[in-house]
Amino acid sequence: MQRDEKQLDNSLEATIQRVQDLKGSLSALLVKLETEYTLNWPSVLDSFALLSGQISSLNKLLKHEKTPLLRNYVLLPLLLSPDRDADLEKLTEGRVLAFNHEVVPDYLRTKPEPDVEERQQHISKQASNMTVENAQKQMNAVNRISTQLLDMITSFRDEWELAQKTSQQQTSSIADTNTLLAAVNFGKGLKSGSENVHSSQSQPSPAEHAQPGRQASSSMKAPSSIKTNIKSASSLHPYQR
Amino acid sequence: MGVVCVASYPVPEGKSGQQIVDVLQSRLEQLGAEKSGQFNVDCETYQSQVPSAQNRLVHLLHNSEQPATCFAVLDTGTCLVADNLFNLLMLKLKNFYPTRKGFKIESKGQRYSLGDFIIKIGSVTFGQNISFKGILVEVEYCPCMVPGDCWDLMKEFMQGFMGNCVENPSNYLKTKMDIMYTPADTIQQYLEHFKTFRKESLAVTR
Amino acid sequence: MESMLAAMNKKIVPLQEYFLQGSVLDASRDILLHRLRGICDNIGGIEKFQDHEMVYTIGTNANNVLQLRARRALDDPEAPWLLRYVGEPDFGDRSKHTLVRSSIDVGTSDNLVQFLTEMGFRLDHEFVVSGHFFRKGRMKITVSKIYRLLQPGDTDKVEALSKSYLVELGVVTVSGQDQVQEEMKNFAEHLKPLVHLEKTDLRKLQQMGT
Repeated sequence: MQRDEKQLDNSLEATIQRVQDLKGSLSALLVKLETEYTLNWPSVLDSFALLSGQISSLNKLLKHEKTPLLRNYVLLPLLLSPDRDADLEKLTEGRVLAFNHEVVPDYLRTKPEPDVEERQQHISKQASNMTVENAQKQMNAVNRISTQLLDMITSFRDEWELAQKTSQQQTSSIADTNTLLAAVNFGKGLKSGSENVHSSQSQPSPAEHAQPGRQASSSMKAPSSIKTNIKSASSLHPYQR
Repeated sequence: MGVVCVASYPVPEGKSGQQIVDVLQSRLEQLGAEKSGQFNVDCETYQSQVPSAQNRLVHLLHNSEQPATCFAVLDTGTCLVADNLFNLLMLKLKNFYPTRKGFKIESKGQRYSLGDFIIKIGSVTFGQNISFKGILVEVEYCPCMVPGDCWDLMKEFMQGFMGNCVENPSNYLKTKMDIMYTPADTIQQYLEHFKTFRKESLAVTR
Repeated sequence: MESMLAAMNKKIVPLQEYFLQGSVLDASRDILLHRLRGICDNIGGIEKFQDHEMVYTIGTNANNVLQLRARRALDDPEAPWLLRYVGEPDFGDRSKHTLVRSSIDVGTSDNLVQFLTEMGFRLDHEFVVSGHFFRKGRMKITVSKIYRLLQPGDTDKVEALSKSYLVELGVVTVSGQDQVQEEMKNFAEHLKPLVHLEKTDLRKLQQMGT
């Protein structure tokens, strides 16, 4: 019995810790959204990644075999008091001032909130009233629309990436960099009266051209999705707010 | 920056350079000149090791009046005015233009100001053992930029405390009478005097 | 002179240049300029330049040649001439993000060419470089076109050397400021994939030419 209690204590503590972390990251993200003038997409992505990591670790914790099934426990409020409770206030960071008749039913509910419950009931009633035939028709329609949307998104992304890749190849050429650097540093193609101007400019370029092209496309493939995001985000919100 | 005249002041037999400097300084102070710090003009010489410019000399001069500048003067008379970092370039050139050892010559001493004039009385020292070679007096008349317009005035002022050792403008200054005066011209005048001092002392040692 | 050497020993003279190089095709230049205007510090002001650079060498023996670069602004005749020495870049250290070379920049009077010629320097080659410059903190970014002179000395008749603009990112600073490399790497990232600023091994280019 004592062992069980200890386990419950431990797991509760761990859960509280996880939730605390999650809350911290959420507020950090909110602050970021509110205050940072030049918010960039990678930084938002970082925050999201952190959040999803924390949520999954919280889930893992709750499903862990060492964690007792919390729903099997009963919490019984023994004493309600209309007076302000300083400890409780501190514990809840000022959200709950007193453990009184007004708040307790809300906070200790194990079911959804009343109006949510009502809407849920309404929907399930509607659903049960529908004929099987009708439902099947609607399901098919939804499926069709989603597949279409998915197709559109994929094809658009492919196109976009392709455009990115081709436009990127056009913006710079390693052969030209080399020509320019050789000229500026060693005077290649600049010395007056020298014959090597044309040969150095045109001859090696086809071979060189092929190589950088391949190099660039393979090296750029991996991070392209991230880049896509940066671009689209910045074009949507040039000034963030 | 105005017009500058650099003149050498003779040291008679039997007197030390310091005595003459003291005499000149006390004359200036009696005229009401006020001390305004020290000054220093120095010159290093580099000699060519390049076949394409045989025996060419580069004189590298600094003037405390233009502390961020150095002046590189060729024996052809071309004077390049450059940032102080030019010194480091000369180090890079040491394979082609090594320093002539023991050839450093320098004029330094007291700087005075008196109305529109700045007067500098410098003792010239030369070589590795920094031996005294003579006295150079520099007088600058600040309000004017063209030597021809103020030469007579400057001459009169200089004769006032230097006597008759200043009679005519130097050959160099004669060519500059009608054009705007620049700091490089001061350097050229110093270099002329430095060359003479070097020649004299080399002739003595031989 | 003594004070100069003292300053050098105290490492307060800017003698190191950290740099990265790349190029951008003519068609994409405006996109690059636009991006640079967005991320760099110069707001308004002049950002264009047009220079004439003459490269002089002294010495005959292949191992004992010194190269100096004389540069003048064609668009501002009043500006001082620039005499520049650049050392061999250090390619050895792969862990470093940028190339490093020693560099001495000296402003001079306008008789520089005469001075160098009389000193025994010979004109090796010359070119016109014109373009835009930007700065970001202590970094300098230039986007410039290199032109060949059709007639020696005549900067009015020129021909573009390639269909690209040379892009250079550099910092001239005192020695031992390796942390600036991180800054430069991050900046170069911002220009990708438009321009790839890289450590180009100039030695390979030189061998290619001979």
